[in-house]
Amino acid sequence: MRDQVVPRVIARMLIPYMLVYGFYVASHGELGPGGGFQAGVILAAALILHSLVHGLEETQRGVPRRWVDRTMAFGVLLYIGVGIHGLLAGNAFLDYSSLALGATDPESIHGAEAMGMTLVETGVTLTVAAVMVTLFDKFATAARR
Amino acid sequence: MNPVLIASVLVLIGLALVLIRTLRGPGVFDRILGVNMIGTKAVILLCLLGFLEDRGGFLDIALLYALINFVGTIAILKFVEFRRLGA
Repeated sequence: MRDQVVPRVIARMLIPYMLVYGFYVASHGELGPGGGFQAGVILAAALILHSLVHGLEETQRGVPRRWVDRTMAFGVLLYIGVGIHGLLAGNAFLDYSSLALGATDPESIHGAEAMGMTLVETGVTLTVAAVMVTLFDKFATAARR
Repeated sequence: MNPVLIASVLVLIGLALVLIRTLRGPGVFDRILGVNMIGTKAVILLCLLGFLEDRGGFLDIALLYALINFVGTIAILKFVEFRRLGA
């Protein structure tokens, strides 16, 4: 599909904005519609559009498979890490207030909760994006037979 | 009567007509065009509903729907034309 001019140009114009929009949804989830899962899907859609227009090999030259796999694992690690950090600090699993590292004033607790939510959402975003890219990869290579 | 509400109803009527074309459409490209147009009308309907309820968040969803709709149409067209998604 590389010889088709219109999809190539549209994809080149669209992909940066899709990535920016994905990060916007990820960072804006508590104020508007969105959150980690949706942001991950949008980020993956940008990569899927690139591999639709330029071919799977071209995309995997920029985003290798092993890095997609590592991102998938790293997102889960981030999520579990925040949860285990709460456990190790003596609180409940995923207790964000333990991220304040001992500070007890309301300002620090509030900041720690925002930080914990952002970390967890980032983990969800990374994992969902990597899983979606892997799913498309599997579909695309299975249809090649 | 609220003009935005009237516009929403008109878009819904257009949606029904496009749905008929999508279900009957003699060729596969008619159906793909119908599905694409349903997506576009959904974007417009989301914007109108956002104005109707005065919630700006609907515009975010409409923008997302437009992006995903484009990617989906490209994917279906590529699969119909080349029978594979990877190359």
